[in-house]
Amino acid sequence: MKIDYREYSPNQRIAIIAASELVGYKSCFVGIGIPSDAACLAKLSVEPELNLIYESGAIGALPLSKSYSTGSPSIAHGADMITDSLSVFSDLQAGRIDVGLLSAAQIDKFGNLNSTVIGDYDEPKIRMVGSGGAHDIACLIPNLIVLMPHDPRRFVDTVDFATSPGSGRDIKKIRDQLNLPEGPSILITDKAKFIMSDEGWLLHSILDSFTFAEATEGLPWSLKPPISCPIETDPAIISALAQINY
Amino acid sequence: MIDKTSTVQDAIKNNVNAGDNIFIGGFGHLIPFYLSHELIRQKIQDLTICRSGADILFDQLIASEIVKKVIFGYVGNPTVGLSHSFSRAYKKKSIEIEEWTNQSIIMRLHAARMGVSFIPSKILQIGDKPSNIRHLKQVTCPYTDHKFSAIPALKPDIALIHAQSADKYGNIQMWGIDGDTVEGALASDKIIVSVEKIISNSKIKEAPEKTVIPSHRVSNIIELPWGAYPSYVSGFYSRDDDHYIEYDTTSRDEDKLSSYLKNWVHDARNIQEYKKLIGSTKIKELEEGLCGVKNED
Repeated sequence: MKIDYREYSPNQRIAIIAASELVGYKSCFVGIGIPSDAACLAKLSVEPELNLIYESGAIGALPLSKSYSTGSPSIAHGADMITDSLSVFSDLQAGRIDVGLLSAAQIDKFGNLNSTVIGDYDEPKIRMVGSGGAHDIACLIPNLIVLMPHDPRRFVDTVDFATSPGSGRDIKKIRDQLNLPEGPSILITDKAKFIMSDEGWLLHSILDSFTFAEATEGLPWSLKPPISCPIETDPAIISALAQINY
Repeated sequence: MIDKTSTVQDAIKNNVNAGDNIFIGGFGHLIPFYLSHELIRQKIQDLTICRSGADILFDQLIASEIVKKVIFGYVGNPTVGLSHSFSRAYKKKSIEIEEWTNQSIIMRLHAARMGVSFIPSKILQIGDKPSNIRHLKQVTCPYTDHKFSAIPALKPDIALIHAQSADKYGNIQMWGIDGDTVEGALASDKIIVSVEKIISNSKIKEAPEKTVIPSHRVSNIIELPWGAYPSYVSGFYSRDDDHYIEYDTTSRDEDKLSSYLKNWVHDARNIQEYKKLIGSTKIKELEEGLCGVKNED
């Protein structure tokens, strides 16, 4: 079956691509929004073993109605366990949670994420919400996938404030010295998948139905053609989309 | 045993002083709106407010100009957008901030709860956050030589929290999402709790495992049904997402926000007035909404 991915909204496409990346993992630290949607989608289709873990303390959750907060009734309802935040952050720090999904207002070529300020820290153009658990996840999770809508304003050479640390040659060296995992390794937009290298993001593959020009339009990084064939996803993921279509 | 039930007015007046550092409970769930609004009604000044992830209650306290300093991991209106009063105050420099992360705030509270001055952690050693936090220090493990950040204890003067039920002595029973609520309460010198329902001590003893804070730590108990609205209470009522969405529009405009605060805070002189504002249609809708197994006590 040939899937026309243009029929789906940008956020749905991110969730579709991200769901495929979660195959093989048992536990996933998720935040609200696209990360939560992607993890739910994977759980409902290609990775039923995946336990969704929210910083509010909900484990084995599967929110099937829209959740505004990580502590929302839809997160608590249907969870297998509710513990406190200290426990889930302790599990995270101990390396007991396999994979994490993060999004942010800004991302740079080394995967540093900004959710603190746009502009100068003391005189910002926009004062945002701050780290929440994002910095903690970016420091500690063994496998980190970043999900970003393809909005060129949000892709920069260097973030205004590195709330959540990235990766690449120099940052990885510091991470090694501190015994921290390697940081963001995959970036998913609504048109493509990127992987981290010593020199920053490389274009890995483009979602079938989109072109190289579309997948890189407005991105400030110098990107070569993809190193892998177009992304096609398991039809089971597409079928499960209806269940998280709130 | 001492009867610790109180009115909301007396509980705040007798326990909170200008300049206090106040932990405010509630992680999406069990946010003590009505209890904390009393700080505004009594105009208690120069407060420091702290917690990990804060939503629109912090926005309201900041907008009311009683806050001197905010210690936080996140301040916003989850999924909906920014905390506009926080942003305005930050840009005007009318508040001081101490900006951490959710994990580090919880570890800071945990250190205070454990009675130690810091806890080592792997976070806050990389990126722009460590240099942004004044006085943050690194330590070397005496056993492994590994480097850790030294997350300092945060010991609030008082905690304001909301829970499902308590007896009149102050044994607090809470279930559902906790987040950092119990941690923050037990880290604090004094604890004031509003509950949906005051129950008997024999009822408490039927399920002591539900008790999360023992009576000897609690200063006052106030029965405030619907006191966590527009957040929710497992077993009682669901979250009013629409209220949060509308608050985004309201709080963008300072005049609109003043009339909101007049209605929902200053003029809501008792919890019955607050319930009237919510309205019977909304109350019915939220009681029937998603909030776990209904409380039968």
